[in-house]
Amino acid sequence: MHRKIALAAVAAASAVVLAACGGSGGGSSSSSAAGGQGDCPGADAFCIGLVTDTGKVDDKSFNQSAWEGALEAASATGGYAKYVETVDPKDYENNINQFIQAQYDVIVTVGFLMGEASIAAAKANPNVQFIGVDQFQGEEIPNLTGLVFPEDKAGYAAGYLAGLMTKTGKIGAVLGTDTVPPVKLFGEGYKAGALAANPSVEVTLVYHAPDNAFNDPEWGAAEAKKQLAQGADIIFGAGGNTGNGALIEIAKAPGAGESIFCIGVDTDQFFTVPQAATCLLTSAEKKLTLGTRTLIEQAQAGTRKGGNYFGLTGLAPYHDTEAAVPDDVKAKVAEVIAGLDAGTIMTNVTL
Amino acid sequence: MSTTDPARTDLGFTDPDPRRGGPLDRLPAIVIPVVSVLLAFAIGGILIWLQGVNPFQAYYVLFSNALGTTEGLLRVMQKSTPLILTGLAVTVGLRAGLFNIGAQGQLLVAALGTAWAGYNFQMPMVLHIPVALVFGMLCGAAWASIAGALRAYRSVSEVITTIMLNSIAIALVDYLASEPFKEPDQPLTRTPEIAPTAMLPTFGIVPSGFLIAIVVAIVFGWLLSRTTQGFRFNTVGLNPSAARYAGISVKGTILLAMAVSGALAGMGGAIETLGVTGRFEPAFNAGLGFDGITIALLARANPIATIPAAILIGTLRSGAAALQFQTGIEPEVVDVILAITLLLVSAPIVARLLFRKRNIKQTQVTQGWGS
Repeated sequence: MHRKIALAAVAAASAVVLAACGGSGGGSSSSSAAGGQGDCPGADAFCIGLVTDTGKVDDKSFNQSAWEGALEAASATGGYAKYVETVDPKDYENNINQFIQAQYDVIVTVGFLMGEASIAAAKANPNVQFIGVDQFQGEEIPNLTGLVFPEDKAGYAAGYLAGLMTKTGKIGAVLGTDTVPPVKLFGEGYKAGALAANPSVEVTLVYHAPDNAFNDPEWGAAEAKKQLAQGADIIFGAGGNTGNGALIEIAKAPGAGESIFCIGVDTDQFFTVPQAATCLLTSAEKKLTLGTRTLIEQAQAGTRKGGNYFGLTGLAPYHDTEAAVPDDVKAKVAEVIAGLDAGTIMTNVTL
Repeated sequence: MSTTDPARTDLGFTDPDPRRGGPLDRLPAIVIPVVSVLLAFAIGGILIWLQGVNPFQAYYVLFSNALGTTEGLLRVMQKSTPLILTGLAVTVGLRAGLFNIGAQGQLLVAALGTAWAGYNFQMPMVLHIPVALVFGMLCGAAWASIAGALRAYRSVSEVITTIMLNSIAIALVDYLASEPFKEPDQPLTRTPEIAPTAMLPTFGIVPSGFLIAIVVAIVFGWLLSRTTQGFRFNTVGLNPSAARYAGISVKGTILLAMAVSGALAGMGGAIETLGVTGRFEPAFNAGLGFDGITIALLARANPIATIPAAILIGTLRSGAAALQFQTGIEPEVVDVILAITLLLVSAPIVARLLFRKRNIKQTQVTQGWGS
């Protein structure tokens, strides 16, 4: 008995520690030159540093879109781009400092949670330009621009489409934590849009607990399954890997792409989560890559301003589910997106 | 051996006389951990080499960044501090025959309790720091005592209960930090900042928390080897039946050991709050308790040895970002090295049990798990 217990205990300990360490993705090495990617060769070159939030640079969501924007900007400006991935949120400052010490010109910090570290670094280093992706700036700091998006508009458009498309009259959403405002704006915008399209639709929103909110695909999958079992036929997944877990689960459901659909978030997830392509109706897109690229180019040109820069939102193409969406629905949704952009349609979402 | 307590987990750390026993026991205690670490670095080096980077250069970058600069040294000390204490927490448990996997949960509960005492109380610094520290330790001790009491009175394996209490602690602190104790008028899940009077000072580049942790480790080295209470822990860990026969209260010792273990893990969380984070924010304490398991096993349940073991892990974690910045190797390689180390230091435990206890007849009708 002892031996078995000891073996079990050691196995349990190993499993716990390994689980705590988290998965290690196969990201590309930042030293291998590809496009404008590589080490900063010196003070004369235009160098772009990017610090990810806790998560990998190939997370198929936020970090990845911002990194792609940095790469595009690097090739457009003839500069160099490099990233550091954050493992422990206590290291935000240290990771930003790696780039400051190496005299990078622009430092992109990705994610809402890095907001305070970015502000502190920007204040301490007035000669370095900072771009805070998804970081709303309450106070204007000249060398820091927050790249923010009207997520409620993107969510509203997705919800409007879902409200028109649902057959069961029930739709759902599996979301990262509601303590992060952009996530809540997506969720509440989705609900408002769905109700605008169809006042009798039943919308279920479920938010993850704050801890590990964006990297819990198992939870996302389980919640998606639950909502499907309750009769939801369209589910919006928004929250990094947690949302991706929901999308992938829905793609496995019988009728996926015919009577069951999923909606992605942030980027066109047809490309970033191909496993979900069969059910993916569209994605509530933040044009993150474009926004990051634009701000970096502005930084190089000297036209970047402090405060907030509002990026564009929209819905990604329908791709494989194109045929399943009636033409009149497409027309109505396009009309709503135009109205949102023009400001003639208000989402009326407040936090 | 124990035939009366089915929840007992024998990990081979409870034998006070290492000269007896199988062939592995004749090696000096330091050989197995050192060989394990070297092997883990070698395997990690192969993984680094497979990614096209010279492993010697990678390790040089990692260690020189962590230990070769003032900021690096400060970070190493900051990161090692809670690890020394969670390592000690697991160590104290192991010596009394308890495998406390719940250091993470105890640390979380304590970190939150400390933050609460830190921002809620108004008092001078000489009082505020010890009060907040002790308050946090009591929170950790109370949390661990749930598992201790279940083990002592109901023979429920502490391995199971502490793992489950970890999950409960995560949910509990998330709730408390996002509802009643949340810092108002901002969206993040976190408590308000602690009062300046509760902040642990830094002497030059040496954080006072680091010094506290070292002193505590030395004190526990003495307590466990030179005092009656330490003898009780070791005896209960070695053989509860003999301990009972000798008049030692086994239940009382288990309760006390678990509470002390929780208090030590709690101290790790408390110092982290008072010395580094300045408030409670759930994600900021990730993994500290689990690293404590690796450290205790690497230190072979020797309190003094938790200091170098924790500093090693603190150094690896501290240098990881520079490793990626300068060589492109992903920071998770550190977790791989630690996981391999853990497997290697655990393996001799298994081997030892296989060598020594094969011929022991098991006659009891068991009530516990794993039989």
